[in-house]
Order: sequence, then C-alpha cells, then structure tokens
Amino acid sequence: MKDIFFDLSLRSVRLNFLRSLLASIGIVIGVVAISSMGMLGTNMQLMVKDQLTTGINIITVTPDVVRAEPGSPVSSSNDITEIQLRDIRDAAGINEVIPIDRTNTQFSIGSNDGRGSIYGLDPDDIKNIMNVSEGTTIRGESDAIVGATIAERFNLKIGTRIKIGEPNISVTRPVVRVVGILTSAGLSSSNGINTDNAIIVSDTWYTSQFGGGNEYDQVNVYLKDVSTLTAVEDAIDKKVNRNKEVVRISDSSSRITSVSSTLSSITTFILAIGSISLLVAATSIFNVMMMSVSERVQEIGILLSIGTEKGEIRRMFLYEAFILGIIGAVIGGIMSIIIGYSVVSAMIGNSAYFFLPESIVYIPGGMLIGMIVCIVSGLYPAWRASNLDPIDALRAE
Amino acid sequence: MNNTPLIRLTDVSKVYHLESGDFTALNHISLDINEGEFVALMGPSGSGKSTMMNQLGILDVPTTGGIFIAGKNVAGMTNLERTHMRRDVIGYIFQKFYLIPLLSAYENVEYPLILKYKKRDTTGRASAVLKSVGFDEELSTHRPSQLSGGQQQRVAIARALVNDPKILLCDEPTGNLDRKTGFQIMDILVNLNKKGKTVILVTHDPKIADYAHRTIQLEDGRIAGS
Repeated sequence: MKDIFFDLSLRSVRLNFLRSLLASIGIVIGVVAISSMGMLGTNMQLMVKDQLTTGINIITVTPDVVRAEPGSPVSSSNDITEIQLRDIRDAAGINEVIPIDRTNTQFSIGSNDGRGSIYGLDPDDIKNIMNVSEGTTIRGESDAIVGATIAERFNLKIGTRIKIGEPNISVTRPVVRVVGILTSAGLSSSNGINTDNAIIVSDTWYTSQFGGGNEYDQVNVYLKDVSTLTAVEDAIDKKVNRNKEVVRISDSSSRITSVSSTLSSITTFILAIGSISLLVAATSIFNVMMMSVSERVQEIGILLSIGTEKGEIRRMFLYEAFILGIIGAVIGGIMSIIIGYSVVSAMIGNSAYFFLPESIVYIPGGMLIGMIVCIVSGLYPAWRASNLDPIDALRAE
Repeated sequence: MNNTPLIRLTDVSKVYHLESGDFTALNHISLDINEGEFVALMGPSGSGKSTMMNQLGILDVPTTGGIFIAGKNVAGMTNLERTHMRRDVIGYIFQKFYLIPLLSAYENVEYPLILKYKKRDTTGRASAVLKSVGFDEELSTHRPSQLSGGQQQRVAIARALVNDPKILLCDEPTGNLDRKTGFQIMDILVNLNKKGKTVILVTHDPKIADYAHRTIQLEDGRIAGS
C-alpha cells in the first residue's frame, strides 16, 4: 500500500522538478567523485600489488656470512651444502625446492666481451620456472638460454655461441650455444632470479666448469600457497639454522607491505578530496529542503491542525530528501561506471582490475554515502517542519 | 444522554506576551456547550474569536483555566494525545478552505482516514462522504486549485466529517463564498447539526448567525452576551 506521505513528497519534488534536479546534481557529482577517485586509487593499488606479488611466493635461502671462531681456520666455502639442501627440502614439504649455482664472470660473443651472471640449474627445474619466448629450453650439455636484455644488447640469436670465462691465452675457453631466449622479467621476477642479464646453463655444465658439485649459491623455495610463507620460513630456519645462523632466509613481502600502505594513504587522501564535493552537495540539499519547508509552511499548518502527527510530518520531509538522494545516487552510480572506467583506463592504462569487487564496490559505496548525506541534510529541515506551531503556520501566506 | 457538557471552559484566560506588553486575548471565560448545539461566535475584530477557536480546536492551550472536551482536560494531555483528539473528535472548516494543494479532492478527504487508520481507505467512506455534501464525483481527481470556492468548501466539509467527529469548528465558512453558495454550505451545516453534530461557527454575518441556536458575543476577550 502506497504511503500518502511518500506521495506528497514525490509530488512536491515533481512540482519543483528543476530545483530538485539541480540539488540532486550536487549528489551526482559527489557520488561520481568518491566512486571514481576510490576506484582509481584501488585500481592503482591492485595493479602495483599485482606487479609486486609476482615473486612473493618465493623464499630465497642464501648462505650467511661466515664468521670463524678465533684460532680456527676460515672455511674455504660458504655455500649451501647438500645436507643443508636436504634439510631445506624436508622443511619445505610439498613446495618445490630448486638449488641454484651462480657466479659472475666474463664472456665473449664473437669479438664482443661482456660480463654477467651465469646460473647453473637442473634443466628440469629450468622448464618449471622460466619462460622461453624464443627457441627451446636446455636439452644438451652445452646448451644455454639467455635473458632478454643480454640477448638484445649482444644481438644474440638462437645458435649464437658464447665463450665463457676470463680470456686466457693458454686455455681454450668453453663454449655454450644459445638455444632459447627468455621473456623479459623487468622489475618483477616471477622466479626469484634476475634473469634479464643472465646466461643460464645446466647444472652439470656449470659444475664441470666452475666446480662446487654438491654446493649451491642459493636455494629457492616456490610456495604453492603464499599464506604458508611464514610457516615455511620458520620451518627452514628451525631445521637449517639449528645451532647457528648458516643461511639467510628472505622474501619480498615487506616491500609489498610498505608500497601498499603508501598507496592506501594516497587513496585515502584522494577520497578525502572527493568527499569535499559531497559536503558541497549536502549544503545544496539542505538549502533546497529548507526552501521546501518554508514554501510549505501553510500546508504544514493545515496538516498539523487536522491531526497529522509530528513524526508523520518529519517522515514526509525525510522522504523528500530520500527521493533527492535516490535520484542523485542512481544517476551518480551510472555515471561513476562511465567516468570511473574512463579515468582508470586513461590514468592507469589498464582496466583489468576495474570490475573486481574491491574496485567496483566503490560505486554502491559512493551511492550509499550520497544517500546518507541527503537524508542527514534533510534531518534539520524535517525537524523544523514538524515543530512549527500550527496556528502560526496556518496564518503564513 | 448525561449532563456533562461536550465542551466546558472554566475561567479560561489567554495572555500573549508581546514586546509592547501583555495582551489578554481571552479574559476569564467560562462557557458550556452541549452535544448537539449549534453555536455562533460573533464579535468585532480583535474581540478574541480566533483565540477562542484555537482553544476550542485544541491548537493552543490556555494560560490559565481549564478546557474540558468530551470530559478530558486539554491542558493535561500530551502533544500526541491532543493531535489524536484533533484528528478524531474535531472537524475543522476554514474560511480559506485550507485543502492540501498537492492532493486531489478525493485524497484530501481520504487523508484524515489515513491518519487515523494508517492505511489507504478501501471502505469507500471518503467517496460516500464527498457525495453526501453534494460534491460532484467527476471532480474528485481534481486538485483544489482546479475547483470553485463552493466545491472546495464542500471538499473541506467532507474532510472534516470523514472521521465522524463530535464537533465541527467552522471559522467563517462562508466568508470566501458568494451569497448563494454560502447559504448552500449553511444548509449542509444545519443538516449535519440535525444529525447530531455539535457545530460552532465564527461569523461576522448576522444572517449566518441566525442559523445558530445560540449566539455568543465576544468583546475584548470577554463574553458580552449570549
């Protein structure tokens, strides 16, 4: 059953259509401002977070600095041993553990000399963690794959031969043949290895040239579930660093936390700026409601004198504010989708995150806030209307 | 029928505190009006007629003295109780009709029913009452501004009657109407009085006052004669 007070409010809005519409436009702008700014901030956050989280599921275990006891000899190597690797595997459980050999050395391609990292990995592991954009992965003993940057800089092609090691007249330098070129990883290395500037060879070739067959420079643990990060780190720490610190365990989560919190402050800040427009909207709604009350003083007087309760008068004016709010919120919501999408696409250049719940929630959120602002702005005018003295109100012209 | 009057004013005074000093609009008035009476209130401007009507219509409370309507002391009631009494016991008919401009003729009559029963009228009572005061049914969807004065006053009377009040308070109901229409409206009021409504009427017009059983003359806030 339709409420007559709602009808009265609706008719009043319709009677003063232009004025009501103008007041609602304030709400439209407010809703659009909050929604699009909120979405912009969130999209930015989501994108940056996503870029940073590639690689967050990786725990890097590296040897700690060796500190010898006074009097005892400093051990010749500080690599991760086979025993430690086994402990790491035990601690890591179902997660994949990949030992990596690494050294920094000179190499020559034709007449060009260069310097970079050489990684030695099990060919099976290479397949699992690296993306070859061109060519194949390592199959033969002296196959190598190279990073995107190094390939570009030295103009490497599939089949190019690279001489590895410091030039030495008395010894022929070993040669590897490029069989694949990796996709560019950029800042976010998804495999925990900075491969852009690296030459990757098989572990057997690596040890035949650089030694260290049962020792590794780094062990990466690839987590299946990122939420187990701390637990796995603790397990490794407990198992390997039993007696003293022999390995260092690190991940990139702290980096994400700090970037995220910065971005979230920025989002809050731009949201606060957006809210100012709603404050302006609130003033205009308040103004229109006060006008509506003062124009209808005599009508209020009639209503009160023939037995309308104060609460019913309040309800009538709150409905009116609510109707203005609904108009503003609905138009604002629709426009938020259009404007928000354009702003996000233009400023971030990527709308992949736009329709995610975290982002799109700003539209109903903005609409709700717009409506609440409207109703709050109508509270005082409604209260004033209901507290008019019926005799004075009737006398008003 | 019991002996308690429907309306009893005992030593009622109403004093307005103005910047120029206190103004006594009603000065120690005592008055009984019985159920079924037709009373005319007359008097020059400023004699206290409007103040008296506001008191009888419980739109206001006296400064001193007591007003009892249907046995209840108005001064002792809460705001909400007074509102409900205005809705259920009293029907108001004004010189300027005071219909609700945003509602149709029918809705204006239905409105007090909605106030009382908190839902739209499905009993047909609003239409029936409109018909009983001689309102043209075809005009029932018209807004007040589209109606003639006589039609508007008929709607106003229907609105006053629809909750079946005991008392009809008429503040110069014919003041804005031509003579002929004015007498038609008076005929309706006389008829209602015959059916048992207590009618209290404010007027300047002695011819209109002649319809009443009793005329009360007010002067300077006092009853000068009745």
